[in-house]
Amino acid sequence: MSTHDKLAGCGVSRRDMLRIGAGGVGFSVFGGIGPVPAVFGRASEATAASTSGKILVVFEWFGGNDGLNTIVPYGDSMYYKHRPTIGIREKDVLKIDAHFGWQKSMGGMKRMYDEGKVAIVQGVGYAQPSFSHFTSMSFWHTGAPNGGNEYGWIGRTATALDPAGARPNMIVNVSDSQSLAVKAENHVPLVFLDPTKFQRAAFAQERAALDLLDAQTAPLGAAHAYAVEVTRSAAQASEVVRLAWSKYKGKDNVDLRLLDLDKVAALIEADFPTKLYYVPLRNSLFDTHVNQAAPHDRQLEYCSDAISGFFQEMKRIGRADDVVMYVHSEFGRRVPENTSLGTDHGTAQVNFVIGNAVKGGMYGAPPSLTDLVLDGNLENTTDFRQVYATLIEEWMGADAARVLGRKFETLKMFRA
Amino acid sequence: MTGRVGWSPGPAHWKDDLTPIAAADWSYDRAAHLLAHAGFGGAPAEIEALAGAGPDGAVRALVHYERIPNPKLQPFVESGLWDPSLNPFPESRPEATDRALATGASMGVERKPAGKRPLQPVSDRFFYWLRATMLETRRLGYWWAGRMLQTTHPLEEKMALLWHGHFATHENKVRDYRKMLQQIALFEKAATGNIRDLAIRVAQNPAMLYFLDAQYNVKGAANENFAREVMELFTMGVGNYSEKDVREGARAFTGWYFDDLSFKIDAAKHDDGPKTFLGRSGNFDGVDALKIIFEQPVTAEYLAGKIYRFLVRDDLSQELKKKLGAILRDSGYELKPLLTAIFSSKDFYSQASYGAHIRGPVEHTVAMMKHLGVDTMPGVPDFNQATIAMGQHLLNPPSVAGWAGGTAWITPGLLIARGNVARDVLIPDITGFRDWNFSAGSDDVLGRRLRDGYDIGAATAVNDPANMTAFDRAALERDEKFNTRISGYIGWEQAARKLIPTPRHAAQFDLTKMVLESGAASAGEAVDYLLWRMVRVPTATATREGFVAFLTNELGTDTLERAKSYMEDALRMVVHLIMSTPEYQIV
Repeated sequence: MSTHDKLAGCGVSRRDMLRIGAGGVGFSVFGGIGPVPAVFGRASEATAASTSGKILVVFEWFGGNDGLNTIVPYGDSMYYKHRPTIGIREKDVLKIDAHFGWQKSMGGMKRMYDEGKVAIVQGVGYAQPSFSHFTSMSFWHTGAPNGGNEYGWIGRTATALDPAGARPNMIVNVSDSQSLAVKAENHVPLVFLDPTKFQRAAFAQERAALDLLDAQTAPLGAAHAYAVEVTRSAAQASEVVRLAWSKYKGKDNVDLRLLDLDKVAALIEADFPTKLYYVPLRNSLFDTHVNQAAPHDRQLEYCSDAISGFFQEMKRIGRADDVVMYVHSEFGRRVPENTSLGTDHGTAQVNFVIGNAVKGGMYGAPPSLTDLVLDGNLENTTDFRQVYATLIEEWMGADAARVLGRKFETLKMFRA
Repeated sequence: MTGRVGWSPGPAHWKDDLTPIAAADWSYDRAAHLLAHAGFGGAPAEIEALAGAGPDGAVRALVHYERIPNPKLQPFVESGLWDPSLNPFPESRPEATDRALATGASMGVERKPAGKRPLQPVSDRFFYWLRATMLETRRLGYWWAGRMLQTTHPLEEKMALLWHGHFATHENKVRDYRKMLQQIALFEKAATGNIRDLAIRVAQNPAMLYFLDAQYNVKGAANENFAREVMELFTMGVGNYSEKDVREGARAFTGWYFDDLSFKIDAAKHDDGPKTFLGRSGNFDGVDALKIIFEQPVTAEYLAGKIYRFLVRDDLSQELKKKLGAILRDSGYELKPLLTAIFSSKDFYSQASYGAHIRGPVEHTVAMMKHLGVDTMPGVPDFNQATIAMGQHLLNPPSVAGWAGGTAWITPGLLIARGNVARDVLIPDITGFRDWNFSAGSDDVLGRRLRDGYDIGAATAVNDPANMTAFDRAALERDEKFNTRISGYIGWEQAARKLIPTPRHAAQFDLTKMVLESGAASAGEAVDYLLWRMVRVPTATATREGFVAFLTNELGTDTLERAKSYMEDALRMVVHLIMSTPEYQIV
């Protein structure tokens, strides 16, 4: 079988796999069980021995999550002074200690926290913060606050892990458009939202001819080789993603509401070789300027349930030790409530790092609610690139200084 | 199909050689290569004209275009959404409503003297302009793409597109299509002029001043954003200046601001003290700082490299970059000598420069129209939706760093999107099309509820009014001063009412005529002609054969003469296949 006929790095040709799928051998091909060769990552452990099985899932909460109404400082009277109306009462808080508690609808994450699997990082931000959703998120995407970079921090992490871009499908971005965070020099992020629609639109009679788009075996130069390679991986990836999705067991469980994390679970269950998953929250209600209580409660409940459900799925699949999730927003919100029972764009925020490998607990200094900065805002006490560095270095085992341009102190967040 | 030669790159050893190519080395294929890079490609007649002009004449026609008439270009027709009372537009909704609380009015709208939600009209006004400028910017992008298609000065538009991505601002933050329009005009006018002058004009451009927070850069409290980006992204590149240069440079730019569409200097806020900047000392202002930046050798090399990578190829050796930088510096930063040198050089026609450029989505869309012989940008599919799907939102680059370009233009999803957009151009989904300018997206439900007689509270309740909880009702009873959710919808409706509609015609072209006029007689000759006309990089034999088999099968015959009365849609599908090839994405 020629190289270009193989599923990238997977050892089975696309046509073979389709035959297998169509022939009803079914999901055993993904798990490495049965007479046919396994398709993805773990199945080819021999060739992947130099890489760990560790996976990072970034779950981006766009909109500007109100950290103070997420991890509630109910023990600080200043909190209720600033938020006389929308402050969450002590009786409603799921208590962590005498000072902090989870917002009341976050039972799922609270349980994981009690099991020691959730790191809460407080006061995360950067100097000279932007109050624009777009600008601030572009700083988080590039890891370059008040600067810019052609490539995203996840993309650069992939480069640090695999400089030559030899390993296919290192990055998956579950979205309808590619995030700046995943833009990479030598890796082609696999970007899709709806696995059932990740395919070429074509009239029935065109299908056979479309299968020949990637027939070039002697590309003329690097750009041509790249375009041919992406054409091939687009055809293959769209097929395997759709196949993985069609076989994913979690989607039959009506109690699981994973938001878009279900696609990640499906690919992990299918032993996809991806190390870095990036999932932006869709239809976010986190931009809570007005009447924030109900939508904020609801959004946190959805997200918390999705995260705990996702890790239940990881346990079922047997990968709970290998997966760490990171949650961040583009900024927190202003400390004093506004006149519309909501909050306006702010600065420092709360982040979460979640997984069996995480040493649960509180990280980062909680910002003072008395000494506010920049007209009613929290001072950032932890540079977000420290969290990035922690994930890149302590979890993924890559050189964080190379990714971030300089050394940042890590947070020592993972179990030995 | 004899006589139609394609893909004739010069020898590999021409790489990095800036000697002009000889007239004897000129050909139709080299002219096609030139037009694909210095412009957006073209129909065979345009390429033949360049081929007939010889290398000097062809390059001169593209670079020194000023005297070539450009009769089809039309000015942008504004919908009339702006009125002066919107100036100065508040930076945020809280600022908008706070202003009305403090002064009784905001953006030309007074607060109501009594009744529920006294600030609702003010909030509506704020969202009106957000929606209005966003919708008008869509029209602006469509209009600009039309200029790229219809211009007789393709290099002018190509370079304007480069400058838009280089001096990147996005409407999403600028929130004023008029400033973006002003910027397009600047980039077109200065497209191939003097880059130092352009940099100064950009530094004094209202969109850029707002985008990089110039209004916060004042004496005693310098904001570094602008000075940093000017050096890091616009002129020198990171690592060629110190943090102290950033701070001192910021001081030089203090007091620069804008009022509506005009650049202003506030002498009282300008720090006139001595500064030490990039090794020079003096009481510099912003223009001085920029001139000092352009005295740095690295600046010419950084800019020449950026221009070369945008126009030719990513892979650029240090030596070639130095040589190109020297040309730019020696000409006093005039661009025409550099562009002439690049497009005349053996390097540009060498193997290394053939098939080395991945077209960006906007460039790609214009090229598609050129290849099809379309002279007006279609309305179906929507230009903005199509290019966004392919990864480029014109007038909204993703960050101040612009678009990464090169291989970043192509991911599996984006490549599939390119094929899907091609299909939508070739066989438009007329019955499935909906004009997105006339939908407020998920807020459409609010409009339906208001028309069904719900009051503002019920219409914007979190739960559907029929299933409202006690909590929802309690929240709704509050006599809030305004409701921003309803403003989001009302603002859209008010803006869309005034918006000049985008024409929704399909692309007009006739592939049957095109193929028959080429002299093609068989399915194979039709495919070969279309490939030759549209694709620079040779396709695989198996791919071509698959397309021929497809066409033969669709026509029910190999003979075009027999099929000419019904072959249009089959030919369109062939072109959909062609435009989906990896080869079609690069030139």
